[in-house]
Amino acid sequence: MYQALLTRRYLTRRIMPLLSALAVCLSTAMVLTTWSVMGGFLQVLLDSGKTFVGDVKIHQPSRGMQHYDKLIESLEADPQVARATPVVETFGVLSLPGDVTKPIQVLGIEPESYNAVTGYYDTLHWRALEKPSKHDPDQTDPRLHPPTPENQDRADRLELTWPKILENGMNLRRIDPRTLEHVPAMVPGIEVSGHVNQRQPGGWYLPQPLVDNPVDIFDWYTMPSHPRAKITLRVLPLTDSGHAVEMASRIMPVANEFRTGNYVFDNNLTIVPLALLQDMMHMDAAERVIGRGGIEIDPQTGKERIVPPRTVVEPARVNTVLVSAAPGVAVNDLRDRVQEIYDAFAIENRMPDASVQTWEQINAGFIGAVKKEIALVLVLFTFISITAVFLVLSIFWSMVNEKTRDIGILRSLGASRAGIAWLWLRYGLVIGLVGSALGGLLSYVIVRNINPIHEWLGSAFNVVVWDPKVYYFTEIPNKVDPTTMMIVLAGGVLASALGALVPSLRAAFMDPVRALRYE
Amino acid sequence: MTAPILQAKNVHKTYRLGRVDVPVLHDASMQVHPGEWVAILGASGSGKSTLMHLLGGLDRPDPKKGSVVYEGRDLAQMSARELDQYRASAVGFVFQSYHLLPELNVLENVLSGAMVRYGRFGYAARKSTLRSRGEGLLDAMGLAHRLGHRPVELSGGERQRVAIARSLINEPAVLLADEPTGNLDQKTGDAILDAVEKLRDRGGEDAAKQTIVMVTHSREVAKRADRLVELVDGRVRSGSEAAGVS
Ligand SMILES: Nc1ncnc2c1ncn2[C@@H]1O[C@H](COP(=O)(O)OP(=O)(O)OP(=O)(O)O)[C@@H](O)[C@H]1O
Ligand SMILES: [Mg+2]
Repeated sequence: MYQALLTRRYLTRRIMPLLSALAVCLSTAMVLTTWSVMGGFLQVLLDSGKTFVGDVKIHQPSRGMQHYDKLIESLEADPQVARATPVVETFGVLSLPGDVTKPIQVLGIEPESYNAVTGYYDTLHWRALEKPSKHDPDQTDPRLHPPTPENQDRADRLELTWPKILENGMNLRRIDPRTLEHVPAMVPGIEVSGHVNQRQPGGWYLPQPLVDNPVDIFDWYTMPSHPRAKITLRVLPLTDSGHAVEMASRIMPVANEFRTGNYVFDNNLTIVPLALLQDMMHMDAAERVIGRGGIEIDPQTGKERIVPPRTVVEPARVNTVLVSAAPGVAVNDLRDRVQEIYDAFAIENRMPDASVQTWEQINAGFIGAVKKEIALVLVLFTFISITAVFLVLSIFWSMVNEKTRDIGILRSLGASRAGIAWLWLRYGLVIGLVGSALGGLLSYVIVRNINPIHEWLGSAFNVVVWDPKVYYFTEIPNKVDPTTMMIVLAGGVLASALGALVPSLRAAFMDPVRALRYE
Repeated sequence: MTAPILQAKNVHKTYRLGRVDVPVLHDASMQVHPGEWVAILGASGSGKSTLMHLLGGLDRPDPKKGSVVYEGRDLAQMSARELDQYRASAVGFVFQSYHLLPELNVLENVLSGAMVRYGRFGYAARKSTLRSRGEGLLDAMGLAHRLGHRPVELSGGERQRVAIARSLINEPAVLLADEPTGNLDQKTGDAILDAVEKLRDRGGEDAAKQTIVMVTHSREVAKRADRLVELVDGRVRSGSEAAGVS
């Protein structure tokens, strides 16, 4: 009873406890904010690990897989498999307008099945946007307006309308302005062009005119028609034995751009039609010479004769097949099943072994590193937060000192040691509760608004803490997980109780007579 | 003659200062009978406060060297819990320098003794009774109009009146006062002692009066007591009885 009354009075009549509550508040806010942002970061990273991979990936980098259509057929016949899609993965070089050359990862895909496995269509950036985002009150996002407002006729003819741009992105094709026929086109990541798409702080992109006198701002999409705006893809086909043959090169239009939110993909990857990349990589179905011709002696007649070179028609190849799991199937189970199916297929078709990995296995090294990094940061911040424990401890220690006489008085009134200990412990708990609650609130406000805060820091002080080139993501995660919050807040209360424990024990074991004589 | 309610039997008390033993009480004995007002007289440093702390169960005599007995029970035999209960209900302390809790107001200070004694639920159950008793005591001490004031807003005499009201809130069998007027001028001190005497006489019959043990170094103050006990060299030199009780 007296504890409650005194706690209340000690709290409201003194500045010290407010200071310790503030220390607890700041510590919990710091740990919770870090954990939320880093945890969110890990989550986005995990999610993006699945981007463009599906659940399980079969990869045969050297010779690739012939008869992959048969493999896909038997995969899709399995109830654990939802869909499977053939992909050619390779590296290439992209020559962009303005003499920019950059190395790039190239994916050759079959859009429909690729979308079914990876959700590719959802990543296409250029499409009509119904409502502006709340960060965009001025409606500067170009997707809110028709791409070519002045010239509807030209827009229709060249399919420069949002529905057509989206559809062409889905199908990896574009209208050739000269012939008005569809030609194969690429869909690069939205950061690939670098300076061409300017990312706005609110999260959308503003295309910049590429040429001096653009017909419209979307000349990026009409580049092949422009003499100075060309995009060239070069890849290096390899022979069976891994030797490079002549470099293959294509000038291609851009159909659309994809945006995954993961900077690694958005900056380093471009997507092209599977058939086109197979062709460039010499992985298409073709008649190939496999034996040298020459002159030999006929064993029967003993005369020389000419032997023509032996040729076979080799079926098309891919080096990757991506598989998605049927609903409710765990990725590891799927992986085992896919391995079985591939092994059977490989024996039947005399194929080399391939690696069969889940998306988690593919990213294991990366994810593990990030998890370790988060753990490290949390440990560091927890150490820093232990400061709060010592702060509470020293503040309580001096308050117990200051209140020594009160302790003696209470003991003379019949208060027990336990009662005195509880008085101080309770006091610490209340301070912990108040501090943690405020810290939780503070952290929630910070995390929810971390992107605007970051922008403001950038514009006000020219500070860029979250560089997407370093952190892979264009947005800072801003979710507070309730479980994380509970853990951190409970930790704050516990820390204050711990800090109050030693002083409260000291108070409890004080000699009442000495306490009363204390000046 | 009635049996003593509280007595010290041949108690010794030695403080250790570093390696030196400082003997303060040496074979001190005294008795307090129900309804009696006993004054303990002695020079400064003679061990008066020490003896009072022993009587009140705030401190213990040297082990196996004497005992303090309340109603036939040796305090040394009591558990910590029983000793807490003893301090809460059997005795009430008044100190020379008032010792009020600065964060609480006058009435809360008086009631704090009851809060400690009864705990949260016991106190809540008796709240209105205790409140009116506290207000009655403060009224008797002439402080009815200062209930909501905090100790810093009171004069020394007023503070001591609050402390006396607090010591009586749990109706203790024995009031232990350690130089209650030591910090006050004579007029204020006399007024307070008058008030104490008035409160004590409410009990009526001699044996039903409030029992008081009061430490003082003033012979003048000691005259108010029924009996005088003098501390010299850590021993009680008893006998110089003032009035004719016992
Ligand atoms: N905790 C302690 N440690 C060592 N010595 C102590 C301690 N407490 C009291 N003393 C000593 O015991 C002796 C008696 O102290 P006590 O306070 O009982 O005297 P007193 O008679 O009440 O004196 P006063 O009239 O000045 O209040 C003193 O000499 C004092 O120095
Ligand atoms: Mg004294």
